[in-house]
Amino acid sequence: MARVILVFNKKVIQEYPFAKENMTIGRSEGNDIVIDNLAVSGLHARIDKIENTYILTDLQSTNGTFVNDKGITSHKLQHKDKVIVGKHLLFFALSKEEQAKTKEAVLDRTMILDTTKQKDLLSKQAGKKGIDLPDKKEKIGVISFLDGSSQDEIQLRKKLTKIGKAETSEIKLGGLLMPPTAATISRRPNGYAITTTGGRVKVKVNNQEIQESHYLKDFDTIEIGSYKFQFYTQESEDKE
Amino acid sequence: MKLTAASLSDIGPVRGGNEDYFSIDNSNNLYIVADGMGGHLAGEVASKVAVQIIQKNVNHWINKNSPEDELFDFPDNTLSRRGNYILSSIKLANRVIYEMSREYAEYKGMGTTIVVLKIMPATVIAANVGDSKIYLIRGNTIEPLSKEHNMVAEQLEMGLISEEEAKISPLRHMLTRNLGSLDTVDVDVFEIEPMNNDRFLLCTDGLTDTVSDDEILRIINNGDDAEHLCQQLVHEANKRGSNDNITVSLIFLKKLDNERQGIIKKFWHLFKK
Repeated sequence: MARVILVFNKKVIQEYPFAKENMTIGRSEGNDIVIDNLAVSGLHARIDKIENTYILTDLQSTNGTFVNDKGITSHKLQHKDKVIVGKHLLFFALSKEEQAKTKEAVLDRTMILDTTKQKDLLSKQAGKKGIDLPDKKEKIGVISFLDGSSQDEIQLRKKLTKIGKAETSEIKLGGLLMPPTAATISRRPNGYAITTTGGRVKVKVNNQEIQESHYLKDFDTIEIGSYKFQFYTQESEDKE
Repeated sequence: MKLTAASLSDIGPVRGGNEDYFSIDNSNNLYIVADGMGGHLAGEVASKVAVQIIQKNVNHWINKNSPEDELFDFPDNTLSRRGNYILSSIKLANRVIYEMSREYAEYKGMGTTIVVLKIMPATVIAANVGDSKIYLIRGNTIEPLSKEHNMVAEQLEMGLISEEEAKISPLRHMLTRNLGSLDTVDVDVFEIEPMNNDRFLLCTDGLTDTVSDDEILRIINNGDDAEHLCQQLVHEANKRGSNDNITVSLIFLKKLDNERQGIIKKFWHLFKK
């Protein structure tokens, strides 16, 4: 079992074995490690145990948390790290088994976090920065026909939307010169992009003809042959 | 379709073994790279099993043109049928590795990342779980066709840390998803339309940890021989002291079929004679 050793003025005050999944450090009584000193915030820092890793996080403390003299927000604790909280020293030590495992694991550093722990770590960091974590709603692209055609708005639900005359197109356009596929819109990691198939029908975005692919921004206007649409994104109604 | 593909896997400067695995299937235009993890030989087993299961099942379903309800787990209605074949095969690989890791003591904790690329004349499908990556190099730009499933990428996305902090963060190898740790997995799948001269890179983090996207772009656009460029990328990562195994696969799409050209263009050729 790992241990946290509280030291003040070079004297060991108490040893705390790491018996749970986490330990909190602060001046208030409810903490696992209570440090009664004005330089320490009520709830100052926290150590989370995740698989074989111990992560120390500073919890928006007034005077900060330092590891080996460096101020940290979150830090993966190593054997023998010296943590300073206020004027107290917290010496972190792994057990012999954990030290051995760490040597193996140090190279194979990749590991998996389970979702609740992930969300926990992220929201603590967001809290520190005063950031409101978004509800992670998917934004979906929408194509709106601009010239009073009989078609309504079309949501771009597919990863790859095909636009053209073909029956299998997600957005069907007519006309003598319209090819089976005139253009495609793909939903990529960086957003929605429109790609021209390079046929006779020109594809323009905001009046500029596009050559290959072009990333779409909200309210861009798209022209494909004689058709005109507008692109924008909205929050998806999907439950997932 | 005219394609050339090459792959190279290197143990890297510090590791004792290579837990990466890759496969190049030119007859089915299916390319896969995996970065295994777990004690002793478990990582090697995980990456190999994942690659083989995906290859076998994707090709099987394509041959049979299987309907979506015959696949493993639920299909995703934002994907094409082939996209669902790939999605389903990855979910199946996850389940198999998960069960193996629970059944055998020597496989406990094993897992792997996965990146899969399938190239067809009108569609390219890119799928990933973990922090191995797929890139599209088109003209003078490089863009990801994969999402990074690790803590640091999520922190970056939420504006909690800066790019500089991300590069040195102790959490940067902490995966938020992999194959094998949980009984189900969320896979990121993207479908795009290919263009002539597109270049695709599949790689494990042994490369991207030490070589930036811009440098990768520069190296890849500075030559035409896929095999030679693989060696250059691996060499660069080794030179910079990568802490991991390094695997790269490069696929160069030289020429697409003319299937998509319209009727007018077909006639135009007759007139041009």
